[in-house]
Amino acid sequence: MASPRVRKVLRDVWHHKARTVLVVLAIAIGIVGAGAVLNTWSLLRRVTREGFLATHPASATIRTDSIDIALLARVRALPAVKDAAARRTVVGRAMVGGSWRTAVLFAAPDFNAVKIGTLQPVSGAWPPTDGAIVVEASSVEYADAAIGQPLVVQVGEAEQQALGVTGIARDAGLPPGWMEHVVYAFVTPETVERLGAPASLNLLQIVVQDDALDREAVRRVAYEVKALVERTGRRVLDVDVPEPGEHIHAAQINSLLYTQGAFGLLALLLSGFLVVNLVTAMLSGQVREIGVMKAIGARGSQLAAMYLGLALVLGLVACVVALPAAALLGRWYAEFTARLLNFDTTGFSIPAWAIALQLAVGALLPVAAAAFPVARGCRIPVSAALRDFGIDGEGKGNDRWLRRIGGMTRPLLLSLRNAFRRRQRMALTLVTLSMGGAVYLGALNLRASIRNSVGYTFGEIFRYDLSIGFARSYPADSIEAAVTRVEGVSRVEAWSGNRAAIARPEGMLGNAFPIGALPNGSRMVAFPVDSGRWLAAGDSNGLVVNRSVLRGERGMSIGGEVTLVVDGKSSRWILFGVVESGPGPMAFATREAVARATGDDRMDRAVIVASLRGPAQQAELSRRLREELQNRGFEVGSSQLMAESRRVLEDHLLLVAGFLMIMSQAMIVVGGLGLASTMSLSVLERTREIGVLRAIGARHGSILSMVQIEGLVISVASWALAIPLSVPMSVILGNAFGRIMMPVRFVTLVPEPSGMLLWLVVVVAVSLVACAWPAYRATRVTTAAALAYE
Amino acid sequence: MTSPLITLKNVTRTFPGAAGDFTALADVSLTIDRGEFAVVVGQSGSGKSTLLGLLSGIDRPTRGEVFVGDTAVHSLSERAMSSWRGRAVGIVFQFFQLLPTLTAAENVMLPMDFCGTWVARERRDRALALLERLDVADQADKFPPKLSGGQQQRVAIARALANEPALLLADEPTGNLDSRTSDAILELFRGLVSEGQTVVMVTHERSARRLASRTITLADGRIVANGGGSDG
Repeated sequence: MASPRVRKVLRDVWHHKARTVLVVLAIAIGIVGAGAVLNTWSLLRRVTREGFLATHPASATIRTDSIDIALLARVRALPAVKDAAARRTVVGRAMVGGSWRTAVLFAAPDFNAVKIGTLQPVSGAWPPTDGAIVVEASSVEYADAAIGQPLVVQVGEAEQQALGVTGIARDAGLPPGWMEHVVYAFVTPETVERLGAPASLNLLQIVVQDDALDREAVRRVAYEVKALVERTGRRVLDVDVPEPGEHIHAAQINSLLYTQGAFGLLALLLSGFLVVNLVTAMLSGQVREIGVMKAIGARGSQLAAMYLGLALVLGLVACVVALPAAALLGRWYAEFTARLLNFDTTGFSIPAWAIALQLAVGALLPVAAAAFPVARGCRIPVSAALRDFGIDGEGKGNDRWLRRIGGMTRPLLLSLRNAFRRRQRMALTLVTLSMGGAVYLGALNLRASIRNSVGYTFGEIFRYDLSIGFARSYPADSIEAAVTRVEGVSRVEAWSGNRAAIARPEGMLGNAFPIGALPNGSRMVAFPVDSGRWLAAGDSNGLVVNRSVLRGERGMSIGGEVTLVVDGKSSRWILFGVVESGPGPMAFATREAVARATGDDRMDRAVIVASLRGPAQQAELSRRLREELQNRGFEVGSSQLMAESRRVLEDHLLLVAGFLMIMSQAMIVVGGLGLASTMSLSVLERTREIGVLRAIGARHGSILSMVQIEGLVISVASWALAIPLSVPMSVILGNAFGRIMMPVRFVTLVPEPSGMLLWLVVVVAVSLVACAWPAYRATRVTTAAALAYE
Repeated sequence: MTSPLITLKNVTRTFPGAAGDFTALADVSLTIDRGEFAVVVGQSGSGKSTLLGLLSGIDRPTRGEVFVGDTAVHSLSERAMSSWRGRAVGIVFQFFQLLPTLTAAENVMLPMDFCGTWVARERRDRALALLERLDVADQADKFPPKLSGGQQQRVAIARALANEPALLLADEPTGNLDSRTSDAILELFRGLVSEGQTVVMVTHERSARRLASRTITLADGRIVANGGGSDG
């Protein structure tokens, strides 16, 4: 049989069912919020690390001419090389919804035998058969592909082929197709031939023997392989060495995980505040009983053990509810985020340590939160505890400022004073509600920032409406003349894209990156300049790179000399500026400068400003452009509508902001519970006072409105506090988001009036609901009972 | 010859207040023998409850010494004080102060539980025996709000006796009861004294003085009379 003190604790819990449920709910919400994030975090970490490493990623990739079995055998025989494999990549285009999109096709002699950069079948058939195509999972949406439907693909000027989509497979080593605006797909070498491209393999992937090598050591091995390939008379176009063991988007993934982690911790912290409030509330109602128990021989430690034990049990009960919910939510969000980043969570489980941590935190959080109020409650001298009459004169409040506000009725003044009577409790409630509000407003701001930034990117940075990629290169004049003739074209510029790599002093090349050749004084693009300046007329060897290039190649400085290898030819450049142009490395130079470096002044891309507005008209213009350019003998490759790119990007980015909105709503619920507990406690403590008010004539409505006004005072104060708090929150979110997805320029700091109004409506509604029960309870206090309240 | 159970030596207790320190007890010296039924009387603010607080260790003297038996109560640490109080003193309050979420029997078992007196499985039997002695055994499994004032006070006395304390302190135990019930409770105390229990009771009841072996009268924090049962 349980001892009387255990029975007392259990009966108290049962007696105060509503408050007990509130405590369990508060802990559960905190655990669900933080646990879901922890589960997402740990699962994503496992999926991205283990999932990526499970594909046996290549240590380096060498682009060359045709690779045969003999060459592969020689490469494999190198002591520093563990394994080598070859693939074919073909850049073509795929017809999607009436317009062409860039398609990158991968071919291998036997996909089932691929051991480097292994692929994972998702649905349908695997591997692709001759004449069929398997679409990469992250490109399915961008390609509007479905199993059983044909996908029209064209390489160069060869005949278009309708390839049946027979399956979907994932290549976890690729950047997501939706983000890159590329349709990635897998075909057989025979299908490549059918598409009119050579079937020979041109990508040599190697895995180094020593797993512990750093990037530069791997590069040295790759250069050994490069030298071997060149000795066979083949040309090496570029050597790509990724950071060993890291996914191409590792930095973004980490930023995403840490941002989410911070929100999880915040949710837990707020939940902790609420638990502190609730435990304080629980103990406040027990002060006299604590005094009595001490008077009959209870030691402080015995009382503390009773109440901390209770907190532990409540935490464990909350865990029973919260852990499965957190696991479900975390798994769901991890699946969603993993899909965005092109990973699959199937077969991965949430690590046991994450569950154990949640259980430990769930059980110990209420104990930790209760520790201070319990210690304080148990230290109250017996005499003081026995004299306890509920709320005292705490808040010796300098409320002269209240008295200065004229025209206030006494009940209103009483409500205002009451709100500030228990300052510590009021502060905790205020912080909880305000933080929820700040995250809510921050998420609203982030949504606005994303829309602004996407608008800025597609309005101010990329100032064209559509682009046409050619399968071959043509003189700039002829492209521009042919495009200008098409009705609906307002302005055109011919660009070219080559691949360049920085030659290092030790004789090796850095990773290759695209270099865009733009006309002097191009008006089609205006990247924000980080340092130095943008290209200008007369920059015969001027180079502008983006931040990503600068990160990969240390030692570059504005005004310094850079040796580039463009299309296999070496040339010297002066670095004029660094711009912000997205996460992938990219460089820019004038058409003339690139022509001098490569010896080829022909262009392979047209960027166009349309005089026609509206996506439908621009899609129609794109169709006519392709038709007329083909009629004039141009081999058109891909075409891209910026409006469509914008829509795809915006949709995905807003989904991420949506997660933050969900988090903020959870925090608002926690805040609302906090307010409800504060008000319940306030009513409980003032039972006697309410009785006195009734005795001197306070009506039902007066008592009701007094409690509601008190709640509204706290809510409106939290609303006002949330607005300035949302500013740093918006900056943090904007910066984090910028690292993760895309640079967020012009971070919206001040919420729009509609956002602030919405938050006010939310907070008032939360207050009215949260105070409804305490207010009702206050009206049920009878004068006799209240005055006899002992 | 009986030895004193309680010895107060030059005890003063002052409380800080907005208008300066307030002296509730001033230089009080007193002894009470084992087996005595001492009644403390006086007007409101005379220092009666303060005296009881000092005897129970609920409060501490500003100056002076308080001995109960061989224990220097004034010098006990808070932790030692709780243990000592649980075993050596039983307290009966005006408003009963039973824990509402425990049954009558469980309320009586609680001090034994806190102080680890009696073997756990024997505690209920002892509680029932005490309730029987106080004539409320039939209420053992009822919760306090279901009991009358007199019944609650009997349960409270049973609780105070749970650990067989040397000293029973009662702070206006009949202050919240009707006269018939009050008489019954006072009779009960007298019965306990006749069994050898030392009782110190603060009261306003004149009838209590008749039953007491000694009446201590306080005024303005000082003992103004200290004598036989009906004195004062």
